[in-house]
Amino acid sequence: MAYAEQTRLYYQNLLQDIDEQGLFKNERIICDRQGAEIQVQYPAGSELKKLINMCSNNYLGLSSHPDVIAAAHQALDHRGYGLSSVRFICGTQDIHKELEARLSRFLETEDTILFSSCFDANAAVFETLLEADDIMLSDRLVHASIIDGMRLAKAQHDTFKHSDMKHLQKKLEMYRDRPRKIIITDGVFSMDGDIAKLDEIVALAEEYDAMVFVDDSHATGFMGKQGKGVHELCKVLGKVDIITTTFGKALGGASGGCASGRKELVALLRQRGRPYLFSNTLAPTITMTTLKVLDLLEAAPERRNKLASNTKWWRTALSEAGFILVDGDSPIVPIMLYDAKLAQAFAQDLYAEGVFAVGFFFPVVAKGQARIRTQLSAAHEQEHLERALAAFIKIGKKYDILGKNKAELLNIEV
Amino acid sequence: MEEKLIDFIIDEFLDDPDTEITADTKLISTGMIDSFSLVSLQSFIEQEFGKKIPAPRITAESFDTVRQMINVINQF
Repeated sequence: MAYAEQTRLYYQNLLQDIDEQGLFKNERIICDRQGAEIQVQYPAGSELKKLINMCSNNYLGLSSHPDVIAAAHQALDHRGYGLSSVRFICGTQDIHKELEARLSRFLETEDTILFSSCFDANAAVFETLLEADDIMLSDRLVHASIIDGMRLAKAQHDTFKHSDMKHLQKKLEMYRDRPRKIIITDGVFSMDGDIAKLDEIVALAEEYDAMVFVDDSHATGFMGKQGKGVHELCKVLGKVDIITTTFGKALGGASGGCASGRKELVALLRQRGRPYLFSNTLAPTITMTTLKVLDLLEAAPERRNKLASNTKWWRTALSEAGFILVDGDSPIVPIMLYDAKLAQAFAQDLYAEGVFAVGFFFPVVAKGQARIRTQLSAAHEQEHLERALAAFIKIGKKYDILGKNKAELLNIEV
Repeated sequence: MEEKLIDFIIDEFLDDPDTEITADTKLISTGMIDSFSLVSLQSFIEQEFGKKIPAPRITAESFDTVRQMINVINQF
């Protein structure tokens, strides 16, 4: 038997270590469509509980929108379920080319290439586009998929302090002579919900002849006046060299992603991007439905406006109640509790009160930076937010944390 | 070398410039800096001391304290 007892023990011990460190992730089973209220089974096998969902990336509330579901049915009838192929053999349909062209128009870029996920797009970009003498300069808080993507590349890597433009400039100066330099950032940072200073990054890139890469997964569809993303919000349309993004969040939430930007870079990704060449084509249902989602986005700004007003109401209400928030304008709203045990206890109490939100603590965020992360959606109605707020205040009173500062929160007995 | 490394670590990685660290302060295993930041240290060591340390020699274990870093650097 190849799976010897000592091998089994090795993996069992690894899992036990994860558990003992309090890092074991148990999945909550949702027996429902994605939405503002969901029926959840947790732990598995227990009774269903109806919860207000404050932790999905369903920013525009399109995941279960009737028009989106109808488009997916239509797509299935027109172009089938699957293609059983990678793109370059027999996996490119007319709708794939149509979606690529449509995304280029929407994002105001030169060209676009589809991937099975944004993770795949990030895994492809750096290895394909950079050589050993090049330098990648990434913000310290970029998403894990970018970190993995950079690890695949031959180019050297260095970091700059989170959104610290002086530090970035220092690094650009230090690597001034490298043939190609690329500044790498998220558009909206997923843990803090803050927004990259993309206008300043682009200005520095122009000064030092560097390229700019942005993962805009937490922004595409709703940041900026027309929802194009952080490059629209920061008024640098056409100046970001590569944008990667996902269809798995605001744009319907199924899966899939793309890289969009300079036509030479996109063309090279099509020739050499390994996750593109050796992974199946994007399913026809997702491809066609994403086209429909872009129609919906461009036809009506109501969902973006509702998301913005929900976000504003939620941030104001929590601040007035005495919680400490990370400042910002994005629909990612972290409530800072600083202490890991407090964050865990708070998240559990929220669940008991019918609110679904997740606590984050070290090593997902830095030590002493534990928080509850909430995410707003256009699917939230006022009554959802009011009920969620009431739960937050009730639990806040239970632990006597309302109006307290960081030092006081770190001394709370849980 | 010790002083230069400590100054760099405080300036590069720590939010609070008044944080005091010594040659024996555990940096990575305590979460004070994350292992992904080691690339910055590698570049700094090359620039400042002219020593090119191969990436496999720079690990969360071998670079946990400044004293350990100096031990590795002195081997090159």
